[in-house]
Amino acid sequence: MNILQQLINGLVLGSGYALIAIGWTVLLGAARLVNFAHGQLYMLGAFVAWAVMTKLGVNYFLAVPIAVVALGLLGVVLQGLMLRPVMQQNLTSLMIVTLGFGYIFQGGASRLFGGDPERFVSPLQSAEIRIGEIWFTWQDVLTLVGTLVLFGVLWLVLNRTRVGAIVRSVAEDPKLAQLFGINAALVYIGVFVFECAAVALGAGLVAPRSPILTSMGFDEVILTFVVVVLGGIGSVTGSLIAGFGLGLFTALFGALVSSAYTTAAAFFVLLAFLVLRPRGLAAR
Amino acid sequence: MTFRHLANPLALLLAALAYFVPALAGGSPVAYGACTTIAILAVMSYGADLILSYLGEVSLGHTIFWAAGGYAAALLSVNAGWSGLPTAAAAVVVAMVLAVVLGLATLRTREFVFSLVTYAAAVVAMEIAFNWSFLGGSDGIVGIPPLTLAIGSWSVSANGNDQLWPIAWVVLMGTLLFIHRFRHSRLGTSALMVQMNPDLATALGIDARKVRLGVFVASAPISALAGWLYAYQRAYVGPDMFETYFLVLMLTAIVIVGRRLLLGPLIGTALIIVQQTFFSIGGDGDKIVLGSVLAAILLLWPRGLVGLWTVLRSRPGAPTR
Repeated sequence: MNILQQLINGLVLGSGYALIAIGWTVLLGAARLVNFAHGQLYMLGAFVAWAVMTKLGVNYFLAVPIAVVALGLLGVVLQGLMLRPVMQQNLTSLMIVTLGFGYIFQGGASRLFGGDPERFVSPLQSAEIRIGEIWFTWQDVLTLVGTLVLFGVLWLVLNRTRVGAIVRSVAEDPKLAQLFGINAALVYIGVFVFECAAVALGAGLVAPRSPILTSMGFDEVILTFVVVVLGGIGSVTGSLIAGFGLGLFTALFGALVSSAYTTAAAFFVLLAFLVLRPRGLAAR
Repeated sequence: MTFRHLANPLALLLAALAYFVPALAGGSPVAYGACTTIAILAVMSYGADLILSYLGEVSLGHTIFWAAGGYAAALLSVNAGWSGLPTAAAAVVVAMVLAVVLGLATLRTREFVFSLVTYAAAVVAMEIAFNWSFLGGSDGIVGIPPLTLAIGSWSVSANGNDQLWPIAWVVLMGTLLFIHRFRHSRLGTSALMVQMNPDLATALGIDARKVRLGVFVASAPISALAGWLYAYQRAYVGPDMFETYFLVLMLTAIVIVGRRLLLGPLIGTALIIVQQTFFSIGGDGDKIVLGSVLAAILLLWPRGLVGLWTVLRSRPGAPTR
């Protein structure tokens, strides 16, 4: 086994995890909302891009933005439906509601797109780069660079702009923020739309690695959850680091121990972490 | 004459009536199949109900106990030739051991972290069941013999849903009795107090962690016994017992009528299974129906159909009480 190759695989995997998780990190940090439909949104993002490509003949680089916009619009609808319990911060109900949404998406997608595995092809997936013994694809480069850019922009928006200050103030204390004339409902919708759009982008970049199925999405939720908790709930920088850490861990675990049990292994790391440091990496 | 005195004969009458429901519904194999399935899945839901209604947490890991019961029955009856009662005891023990482990691991978690850890545990358990040949791997375990219960020289064997129904009925009635007793037990009332007012509970000397662990461990064998019966009904267990279908069904069955109602999960399960058995619009269509019912109930009438009834009654112009 080539260690350097596994490190590169780990970084690529990790950037994918971080990218899929980023929407959740922001949603959880700003709205304290957990979206159990996250995995199904990932699936929908991949299938919308795939459908636009195969049925309408649009090319990959246009199909992914279309999927991002489509999922963003879906986010507006979903958050509109959930607005009352969101404003009441009825978190128990919301968790179950999003689980219901996920189940609707799974059934609906399977009806719409069929139950067979499909090939969602990116032209960059077959463009390989070889340096000596190591190899990777241009798709890997795109995922890594895309993730770093998105995280950079997001960090700047949250920490250096007025929009970011508004989101952070709602996260801190929604009632007090409303007293200062901030429309918390609008912030919640915005954050939810970001989550849906970001996971669609994640699907657009990551899903071409393997065949896509309407029943997929469960592993993505677990890995996202591990990234979010390890990174410290709501911490953008923390989840980037946690994403890379988890990526390296899964690449090495898959190569050295067993690739069938990587999700299980990631979960046991998480359990150990929850027992030792319940508040995550970002906790002081 | 208080209501309490009346309640027992009434409950007994209802329980006896319930026994004849499949016969009254025509006595066809379909009727017996649907009623047995309703009983099994209702019992499964009561396990999760204990957590959702009385602890106020959402356990997404009860498919683990449900599957553990099924796998215990399958492994021991197929490989070791055990009969029904020992496999039931094994199902209960296995579920309780798993519940202690998962309960201790989640002891310090609340709200969404608790839900996510239990959810993740279920996904990981499915991965293990899917890959581990001891548990049959992705093929599962086939050829489970008909359920045989033997006490001393007396024994009964259940082949087919019409013979399985009396056993399912007994398990269901036993579960209802257990839940009824739990609601009035020290553990049940402590759990409600921990949920409603944790500070008061602590002030009264209740150890919230002990209560949470206690309820969690008490809930696991209920779902496990349902899984145990399900294994005999289908004569097969496999990783499909971890499917989201069962999770969504449990939660929908609990919230559809209203939380903290003794008969709520039973009526909820009955409504869902009747739709899926007699008014099905295809597997994927039924998924959409089930998910929509779950989301719609919580978004429109968070207290369930009982809440809807209160809304209708208090509407201006409606007949006064």
